[in-house]
Amino acid sequence: MLEHLNAAPTRPERVVIIGAGGFVGGAILKKLRDAGTQVLALTRRELDLLDAGATAKLAQMLKPQDSVVMVSAVAPAKNVTMLMQNLKMAEAVCAALAEKSIAHLLYISSDAVYADDANPVTEDSYCAPTTLHGMMHAARELMLKSATTAPFAALRPTLIYGADDPHNGYGPNRFRRQAGKGEPISIFGEGEERRDHIWVEDVAALAVRMLERRSRGALNAVTGVSTSFHDIAQMVAAQFPGAVVKSAPRPGPRPHLLHRFFDITQCLKAFPDFRFTPLREGLGHSQTDQD
Amino acid sequence: MSAPQIGFAGMTHLGINSAAAAAARGFQTLWFDTDTARIAALAKGELPVVEPDLPETIAAHGARIRHTSQASDLRGCAVVYIACDVPTDDRGGSDLLTVDALIETVSANIADDAVLVILCQVPPGFTRRLARAPARLYYQVETLIFGRAMERALHPERFIIGCADPAQALPAAYHEFLTAFGCPLLPMRYESAELAKIAINCCLVSSVTVANTLAELSERIGADWHEIVPALKLDRRIGPYSYLAPGLGLAGGNLERDLATVLQLAGETGSEAGLITSFVASSRHRKDWVLRTLHREVFARQPQAVLGILGLAYKENTHSTKNSPALALIRHLAPWQLRIHDPVVPVAAAQHARAVGCDSPLAAATGADALVIMTPWPAFRELKPADLARAMRGCIVIDPLRVLDGRALVAAGFEYLTLGAPPQRPH
Repeated sequence: MLEHLNAAPTRPERVVIIGAGGFVGGAILKKLRDAGTQVLALTRRELDLLDAGATAKLAQMLKPQDSVVMVSAVAPAKNVTMLMQNLKMAEAVCAALAEKSIAHLLYISSDAVYADDANPVTEDSYCAPTTLHGMMHAARELMLKSATTAPFAALRPTLIYGADDPHNGYGPNRFRRQAGKGEPISIFGEGEERRDHIWVEDVAALAVRMLERRSRGALNAVTGVSTSFHDIAQMVAAQFPGAVVKSAPRPGPRPHLLHRFFDITQCLKAFPDFRFTPLREGLGHSQTDQD
Repeated sequence: MSAPQIGFAGMTHLGINSAAAAAARGFQTLWFDTDTARIAALAKGELPVVEPDLPETIAAHGARIRHTSQASDLRGCAVVYIACDVPTDDRGGSDLLTVDALIETVSANIADDAVLVILCQVPPGFTRRLARAPARLYYQVETLIFGRAMERALHPERFIIGCADPAQALPAAYHEFLTAFGCPLLPMRYESAELAKIAINCCLVSSVTVANTLAELSERIGADWHEIVPALKLDRRIGPYSYLAPGLGLAGGNLERDLATVLQLAGETGSEAGLITSFVASSRHRKDWVLRTLHREVFARQPQAVLGILGLAYKENTHSTKNSPALALIRHLAPWQLRIHDPVVPVAAAQHARAVGCDSPLAAATGADALVIMTPWPAFRELKPADLARAMRGCIVIDPLRVLDGRALVAAGFEYLTLGAPPQRPH
């Protein structure tokens, strides 16, 4: 449940983005700058959270009126080493927050914090991660929340797509790249699994709204519409003349939980006038952006 | 020997209806409340609650009704009921301070041999902790239904009576009063009676939750839950009076209170109660059905839509808005213009900056892009599709509780959305 401490949207005095060079961080940065908000954008070049001096460097930069967005991560955390790196990065931020008070903290988390069998997933679903990646985000949420007295919010996006996505995970981004290279779009089996996919611009827009309302609590960044990989592949194919969709053998057994649905009621309540970009439209934008 | 005088302390919904039923059954009744203004209003015939047949019953049996705010007047009563409503908070927790205070006042003023009966909802363990002599202290389960309170009070299915020792005979005056209603008497220990009340409500919630869960599934797989309900009601194991109508989650406060009490007791005793947690979650989910439907069917297509909203009360034939689905919905409609009508509740209750109060259902529909019927007031059934088609700007009717005839609306060009069935649209 999200609680807004600002009754009306108010531009933050300054937003510090830790991880501004990434896919989501970059989208948030652009949205804030477009709106004329003052931003201190920290990429790994300005602040490497794995460096010994990261805490002191960050603490020195923070001001009491800052709204801080923590989006930096080595993701997905596929193994124990990556998990520990991510926790170490969060530890550095926590130590800086313990030294310097700020106005608001927003953490870009993940829907991987929820149990796999939560269906439909809401913000009230139990956080019971089944992957190291999910455990990493769940742990970082708790670490950051406990490190500051400022209002804390977690935005938990589901699968994100967009032109600048650095990952090549199974789904819209890989499908676009395959079609772009003239290769068949490859779906596993019949591609019947249904998942929620959100456009990165919508994730950024929600983050900006949470900053403007100085929100506290958790919000899922999900559209509430789950689409099968088969249908997504067809949508992508329609944007590339001559593209074909081909079934490929699954790399592993058919997943036990075939579909994942989200109930977005809490988002409807938190931001009644927010409109998610429909998947077909978002894929079109992603294509245009890439062109 | 003349019939005993029965006292009722706490002139709220429960007290007034129970006292009116006692008068109707031929007993002299004393209506007591510490609130002098409330007693003065009652004496003038002004009722703080809306219930069918209540004013008529009071008028017909007024000769057996006496009002007082003097606790000492209770000394003449053979039986005195503690009958105040017990307020609940947003989480279903009971505020027992009012009951405690009333019991103290009444106990200090009634005759030593009078019977004190706790009629209001109290948690298990409450009655046995009271100081009064066990032989003259009872707990009686109330099964008041908002909108049907008079009917239930006059014709109870049974009396469930919590006793210190159920093996002992009931005091003569109390027994005489109860038998006048001609229904079975079920004496049992205090704790059993207190839990029986909760058990009844848990069974009702269980049925409603099944209905709500499968109604949502019906909406998504092309079934119509209302076609299924008669099949269930003809099954003897389920029964003709079972609560199978899908709804917008639990409302009114009493069912929620009992679920909260079970969860609290389970927490205190280590008893497993995951089922109750599921009831609560299901109710919370169902409460937002209209909000989700509005976003999906109306706002997604028309972001500036004007809504007509019929009904603010939590159900028909009552003034109560406690946990009202309509008010819960309206809290999340701040950006939109609303046109509201309720036969009893004023528009101010909506606390919405862009809400306009309308003096008729059709006036509320006028100019609206979508009409939402939140309370099944009988008057709303009179709305004609042709009149709505002329009055409304749009053609969407969201009628969760099927107040209107969906087929007739679809035939008149409307899209019709209701609980338990897929959206119905003109061909």
